[in-house]
Amino acid sequence: MTETLGTPIQGVTLYSFTRASHQREYDLEALIRKVAADGYGPGLEIIGFSSFRGFPAIDDSFAGWFKDLVAEVGLTQTSLAVNADIGIHRDRLLDQDELIEYMRLQIEAAAKLGFPIARVQISLTPDSMEQLAPIAEKNDVTLALEVHADQYASHPRILALRDRYEKVGSPRLAFTADWGATVTGFAPSLLEAYRRRGASEDLLAQVVDLWNGYYAEGPPANQQVHGQRFGSFIGLAARNGRPELGIDFAINGTGLFGPARVEDWLEIMPWVRHVHGKFFGIDENHEEPSVPVRDLVKLLVENGYSGAISSEYEGWHWNHWQSPFDIIRDEQAVQRSAASNAGSRMITDNAEAKRVLAAHLAAPVPHLN
Amino acid sequence: MIPDRIIEQGTLTSNGSRSSVEVRIPWYRALPGSCIAGATLSIDGIPADPGSVRWGMNGKEFTFDELRDNTDEWWFPLDSAVLSGDVPAAADGSEHTVDVDLTLYIPYIVISENEVLHIEEHDTKTMKAVNA
Repeated sequence: MTETLGTPIQGVTLYSFTRASHQREYDLEALIRKVAADGYGPGLEIIGFSSFRGFPAIDDSFAGWFKDLVAEVGLTQTSLAVNADIGIHRDRLLDQDELIEYMRLQIEAAAKLGFPIARVQISLTPDSMEQLAPIAEKNDVTLALEVHADQYASHPRILALRDRYEKVGSPRLAFTADWGATVTGFAPSLLEAYRRRGASEDLLAQVVDLWNGYYAEGPPANQQVHGQRFGSFIGLAARNGRPELGIDFAINGTGLFGPARVEDWLEIMPWVRHVHGKFFGIDENHEEPSVPVRDLVKLLVENGYSGAISSEYEGWHWNHWQSPFDIIRDEQAVQRSAASNAGSRMITDNAEAKRVLAAHLAAPVPHLN
Repeated sequence: MIPDRIIEQGTLTSNGSRSSVEVRIPWYRALPGSCIAGATLSIDGIPADPGSVRWGMNGKEFTFDELRDNTDEWWFPLDSAVLSGDVPAAADGSEHTVDVDLTLYIPYIVISENEVLHIEEHDTKTMKAVNA
C-alpha cells in the first residue's frame, strides 16, 4: 500500500454501447455527446476498428473534427484500443516485421487522434513490446497491454512481460488491468439469458457449480489446464442434452469470468496505467453481482492508482432486455461509492481529469523491489 | 456477438432466379475481406448454388476465393454487405424464410501455434421479396 490514496478517473469505453451503435441508434458523434451529457465520463475510450472507418488510416480533417468534438463536449481521451491482428492472413500469422509495422500504424493513429494510451493485446510478446517501445516513446503514447481472462496478473506470460518492462525501463510500456480476470461468480444475467434459451434450472446449477469449483482452485496454471476447463463446460452441456450451449458456456466460463483473486493485481500494479472496469450486470440492489467492483476500486485507491477506469459493460452480448445506459450509470455509482468508502473519490471533473491523467502517465518508471 | 442482426429485415430482392439480402457483421469491430471465410444463402430451404454466391462490400462484388487474400477492403460495423446467389424468391407478396450462415475469422484471437479463432454464425428471418 502506498501512502497517497489514488483518485481514479471515471470513464467509459464506447464498446459498452456496442448494441446501440451497431443498430445505428447512435452514430459516433451522437454517442460521444450522450456520454458527455449523461455523465459517463470524463474518461473516453474508443476501439479504433469499431468506431473509425478506414482505421488505422486517419486523415487530418477527421482527426481535427474528432478532437474538436471531444473538447467541445468536455471529455478526456484515455485509451484507444488497438488490435494485434496477427492472423489477418488466413493461411499464416504475421511475421515479426509485419506485426511491428501493423502496430506502428495504430500507435501513430492514436497519437494523431489525441489518445495518450493505446490498449494492446496479449498476442504481443515481450520481444514485440521491447521493439515497440521506441515507437511508443516517439509518439508519446503509452502501450498498455491488456491483462484479460483467461490470463491474470501472476500468469507466467504476464510476469514475463512485466520482467521485460523492468529490464527495458521505458516509461511507455504498461498494462491495462481488465477486471474480468478477477471475477467471483458466473454472471447471473448470462444465466438468465440461458434460461430464456430454455436451459433448465438443473443445468444452470451445474454450470454454476463447475465455475465455483474452478474459482476455489484459482486461475488455470497453464494453457493445458485452461483447455481442460474449456472442455469441461462443453462436456457438461453435452451430458445434459444441450450440446449447442457448450461452446458458449466454455468461452464465457473461461474467457470472460476469470477466477483470480483481486490481490493478484499487486503483481503488476506499478505498471498498471489503465483499467478496464469490466462488468456484466447490475442486480436489484444496484450492485454488480459477480464482479467485486468495490474491492477492486479499494485496491486501486489504496495503491495510489490515479489513472482512468473505463467502465466496460460486456453484458450486451446476451442482455437484450435491459438498457446498457442504465446499467452503466449504476455501475459507475458503485465505483464512486467504493472510492469514497476507501477514503478517496473518483474524479468526474474534466479539467481535473486531464491534469491527473497527465501526471499519472508521467509517473516514474517502476522497478521491482 | 450479435447473430440475431445478421440478416436485415426487409432487404430481400430477387429478379426471379437470383436473389440477394443485406447482412450485418455480428461482431463489434471491422474485419478485412481475408477474415470473411464464407457464407451461404438459402430461401425457403433451398440453398443457392455455392459457385453462384457473391459478397458485395464497399460497392464491389467478390467471390469468397477473391476475399481470401484481401486485406484492403474492410467490413465496417455500420455497413451492410450484400449476399447474393442463384436461388429464386418470388416477389408475389408471399413470405419467404431466409437463412444465412456466416463464417468469420477473428484475427487477434490466436488459439494455437498457427491458427486464429473462427466463428460460425447463423440467422434466419422471414420477409417478403421485392423485384430487383
